[in-house]
Amino acid sequence: MGNFDLLMHGFGIAITPMHLMLMVGGVLMGLIVGVLPGLGAPNGVSLLIPLTFALDPTSAIILLSSMYWGALFGGSTTSILFNIPGEPSSVATTFDGYPLARSGQSTRALTLAFMSAGFGALLGVIVITLLAGWASNFALKFGAPEYFAVYFLAFAAFIGMGSAAPMKTLVSLAAGLLLASVGMDSVTGSIRLTFGFEDLLGGISFLVVVIGLFGIGELLSTVQEGLRFRGVASKIDLRDVFKTIAELPRYWATYIRSGLIGIWMGITPGGPTAASFMSYGIARSSSRKGAPFGTGRPEGIVAPETADHSAGSCAMLPMLALGVPSSATAAVMMGGLMIWGLTPGPMLFQTQPDFVWGLIASMYVSNIVGVVLVLATVPMFAALLRIPFTIIGPMIVAICFVGAYTVSNATFDLWLVLLFGLVGYLFSRLDYPLAPLVLAMVLGHKAENAFHQSMVLSDGSLGIFFANPLVSSIMVIGIALLVLPKLVSLGSRFRRRVPVE
Amino acid sequence: MTVKVFHAELGTAVATGLLGLAGVIGATELGYGWEESGPQAGYFPFYVGLILIGASLWNLVAAFVHHRQAMAHVAGGGDAEEPFLDRERAGRLGIFLSALLAFVVVTLTMGIYVGSILYITWSAWRQGGYRLPLALGVGAGFAVALYLIFEVIFKIPLLKGPIEPLLGIY
Repeated sequence: MGNFDLLMHGFGIAITPMHLMLMVGGVLMGLIVGVLPGLGAPNGVSLLIPLTFALDPTSAIILLSSMYWGALFGGSTTSILFNIPGEPSSVATTFDGYPLARSGQSTRALTLAFMSAGFGALLGVIVITLLAGWASNFALKFGAPEYFAVYFLAFAAFIGMGSAAPMKTLVSLAAGLLLASVGMDSVTGSIRLTFGFEDLLGGISFLVVVIGLFGIGELLSTVQEGLRFRGVASKIDLRDVFKTIAELPRYWATYIRSGLIGIWMGITPGGPTAASFMSYGIARSSSRKGAPFGTGRPEGIVAPETADHSAGSCAMLPMLALGVPSSATAAVMMGGLMIWGLTPGPMLFQTQPDFVWGLIASMYVSNIVGVVLVLATVPMFAALLRIPFTIIGPMIVAICFVGAYTVSNATFDLWLVLLFGLVGYLFSRLDYPLAPLVLAMVLGHKAENAFHQSMVLSDGSLGIFFANPLVSSIMVIGIALLVLPKLVSLGSRFRRRVPVE
Repeated sequence: MTVKVFHAELGTAVATGLLGLAGVIGATELGYGWEESGPQAGYFPFYVGLILIGASLWNLVAAFVHHRQAMAHVAGGGDAEEPFLDRERAGRLGIFLSALLAFVVVTLTMGIYVGSILYITWSAWRQGGYRLPLALGVGAGFAVALYLIFEVIFKIPLLKGPIEPLLGIY
C-alpha cells in the first residue's frame, strides 16, 4: 500500500465520534495548560499520561497529540494578549504580537498567529505523510551501532545547535543520563545508584521529573517576578478575522521560508523553540521596507508561528520512525508510548499501522479543529488569566502534585517534584536548557542498550561506530553538529579581531 | 538577603559536579570494567559521571572568568550585574516555598484533599485578601472537583489521610 492509501485508512480510524470527541477535549485541555503559567505542553502531557492507561494506544496518542496542538495555540494566545509566553516556543511571538494587539488590532494579531500556526502544522503533517514510509524503511536497516549513532547525533545536535552554552547543555544531558540509570538495569539485571534508598529501586520516573522541572519550576519563576497580568481586550470580531485571512497570501514568502526552517528544525533535533527564533531572525534580516520589527509587523507573527508549529508536528516523525524525539513534549509522548507497551521505531510502522496512520491522519483533523476552536474560545481562555494568581497558583501546584502521585502512587515522588521544581527554577534562571535533560532521561536506557550491544558485537572496540558507511556518516554528521557551530563562531571572532588589533 | 549570579553559578556547578561524583562512586561499587559478556553494569554511569564532572568543572571556571570580567567592568565605571535574587524577590520566593513545603508535609500526613483545601484556602485568604468563607469555598470546591475527576470518572485513587475513612470515602 502506498502512503496515500495508508493515510486514507488512517482517516477511517481517526474520524470516529469517539476520536473526534477526544480531539476536541484534548485541544481544549491543551488550550488551558498553554494559557496558564506553570502548565505547559511537556508537563500537561505528563499529567495526562496516567489518565490514558484506560484507553487503547491509538485513542491515547490522539488525545495527547491534540493536547499538544492545543497547548501550542494557547501559548501563542497569551504571548499576544498578555505579553507572557505560555510556552518557551512562543517567546518570539511576543516581539510583534503584543505591540500589534496593543495598537487595538488584537483580532488581527490572533488570527495571523492561529492561521500561520495551522498552516505550519499542516505543512509539517504533509511532510510526515510523504516521508513516513521512506523513513521507516530506511530505519529498518539500522542495527545497534546505527541506533547509538542516531542517539549520539541527537545529543550532539542539542549541544552544538542549542542556544545555551554548550557545557551547560552537556551538564543537563549527562545529569539526565545519570538519573535514567538509577534503579534496575535492564541489561545486566543489577540494581544501580540507589545508595541503599528503597524508594529509588524502581528508578526515577521522567514524568515526575518533567512535572517538577516544567511545572513547579516555572511557577517559582512566575512568583519571583510578582506577576501582574496586564492584558489586552480579547473580543474576536468575525469581520476582522476574514479581513485578516484575505491578507494572508501577501506573506507567501515568509510562509514558505518559515515552514522550511520549521520542517528542518523539527526533523533534526533543533526543536520548535529554536525554530521560531531562527525564523523570526531571518524574517527580520531579510525584510527591507516597512515598519521595523518589534512594533507590530505582521511578518513578525507569521514567521515564528509558522516555524513553531511546523517544527512541532515534524518532531513526531523522528520520534515514530527512529525513536528519537526532537522536542521535550515529543520525548514525553514517546515515554508514554513505551508505557503503553509500544516500541517506537521502524517496526512500529510494520506492526502497528493503525496506530501510526491513525495518529498522522488525526494530526490533519485536530489541527483544523484546533484553529476553529481557538478562534471561538479565545475570550474565554483569556479570562482564565484574570483569575488572581493567589487562587490559580496553588491550584496549579496541587494539580502538579496530584499528577505526580498518580504516576506510580508513590509518596516519595512528591519530594522529587519539589526537588526538581527547585532544579528547574535554578536551571532556567542560569540558562541551563531543560529539554536535553528530559530527552536524556527518556532515551537513557535505549542509548545505553544500543551502546552495550554494539560493544558486545565489536568486543569492546569503539571502531564499530565507524565500521560501515551508514553508521560512520551518522557519526560524522553528529561530530560535525557538535564542533562546527563553535568553530564557525570562533573563526568569525578571530577574523573580526585581527583588523582591530 | 541578596544572592549574586556568581554565587548561584558556583553553587549549581558544584552541585552538578557532586551528582557526577555520586554517579562515579556508585558505578565503582558495581564495577565499570569488562567481563566476558560485555561491559559491567557500572560502565555507562561511570563515564557519564566523569563527563558530568568535567562539564561542571568547566562551568565553574567559566563562572570565575565571567565574574572577573564583571568586576573589571564595574571597576572601569560600568554598571554592576543584576543580582540573581534581590531581597524583594527572595522574600516572595521564600513565602511561596515555605507554603509549598507545608503543603507537601500536610499532604503526606493528611492526604491530598486536606492538603489542597488548606493550601488554597490559606493562599486566597492570607495572600489574596479574600474573606475566609469565600476562600474556604474555593478550596473545598477544588477538592470536590479533584474527587469527581479522579476517583469517580477515571477511578484513580488519590492519596488519602486519616480523615477520609471517617467520611466513608476510601
